[in-house]
Amino acid sequence: MKFTIKKCVAWGGGLTTDQDWQEFAQKEKELSLEQELPALKQMPAMQRRRLSPFAKLSLHCALSAAEDCLATVPSVFASRHGDLQKTSKLISDVAAKEVLSPTQFGLSVHNAVGGLFSIYTGNKAPLSAISAGEDTFFVAILDAVSKMNYNAYPQILLVYTEAQVPEIYAQYVAQEEYSMSCALLIEPVQSALASECEEDKAVFELTLSNKEQGDKPAGDDENPHMQALDFLHFYYSGVEQAEVVSKRHKWQFKRTTC
Amino acid sequence: MNALSEEVKQLIIDTLDLEDIEPADIDYEDALFVDGLGLDSIDALELGVAIKKAYDVKIDNNSEDSKKHFYSVKTLCEFIAANRG
Repeated sequence: MKFTIKKCVAWGGGLTTDQDWQEFAQKEKELSLEQELPALKQMPAMQRRRLSPFAKLSLHCALSAAEDCLATVPSVFASRHGDLQKTSKLISDVAAKEVLSPTQFGLSVHNAVGGLFSIYTGNKAPLSAISAGEDTFFVAILDAVSKMNYNAYPQILLVYTEAQVPEIYAQYVAQEEYSMSCALLIEPVQSALASECEEDKAVFELTLSNKEQGDKPAGDDENPHMQALDFLHFYYSGVEQAEVVSKRHKWQFKRTTC
Repeated sequence: MNALSEEVKQLIIDTLDLEDIEPADIDYEDALFVDGLGLDSIDALELGVAIKKAYDVKIDNNSEDSKKHFYSVKTLCEFIAANRG
């Protein structure tokens, strides 16, 4: 499956700019647990007040990546755990027989951030919200590129976000988790005609294959890193290919020029 | 009534995460919703829950009366004062 990336915006683990991510890919900068949140000053305060840290991360990346097509771009919002801080607070309230906050309840569903994005931008294009375990990030690419190709969309927005899970769930998380978001504005590979092909434009190819014996991590172990971070490392380092193995699958990423 | 109105203003600010707004910015008699302070229907539900918790006063969210009670800080205070447990 081939596609191009018009824009990539990521925020998290203490890294906020293109420069930061390049230095991360060159191993000059490391991820930290620092939680600096985007200010989102472009949003009116009355809308901004309801945004959780999870929503702020998502919307910052989504709005920056799709700034030229905000009102029209179809999108895929992806997260493994969703806004679990919010959900677990509601579950605690249920357990304590407290009255639930209508606002928190309304904003705790998996497609809530997509909804906030749609309301703010006036975007009525198709939008989906998915989750696929440790493979969420790559499955989201698969989903986005398939939808784009099938419907002949000129582009599609992918927004992946994760927030560190609440303490009570931490023991069930095998990966080293960072609160982060990454948005990609994905476009089709225009045409095989060389004349229409922008020189040096990177074309990405994602391949899903069966895990083989000897692949690491083996057995039921998860990849110790978040897939999105593996991807960002690949994207910003400029290397030609990368392989990421998860508990169930093997993913290969290739970069060529058209 | 004055102490209660300050309390209700602070409750509105805290419950609805109104950043950058002080109790003094909320007019006692002006509309809270839409044209006034700009609150919406989810805020009405949220505020209903908060008032129930703080004063043990239940406002039926769908009745015509509730629109009157939710109109301003003044109408909310009058309703709370008359019905609090």
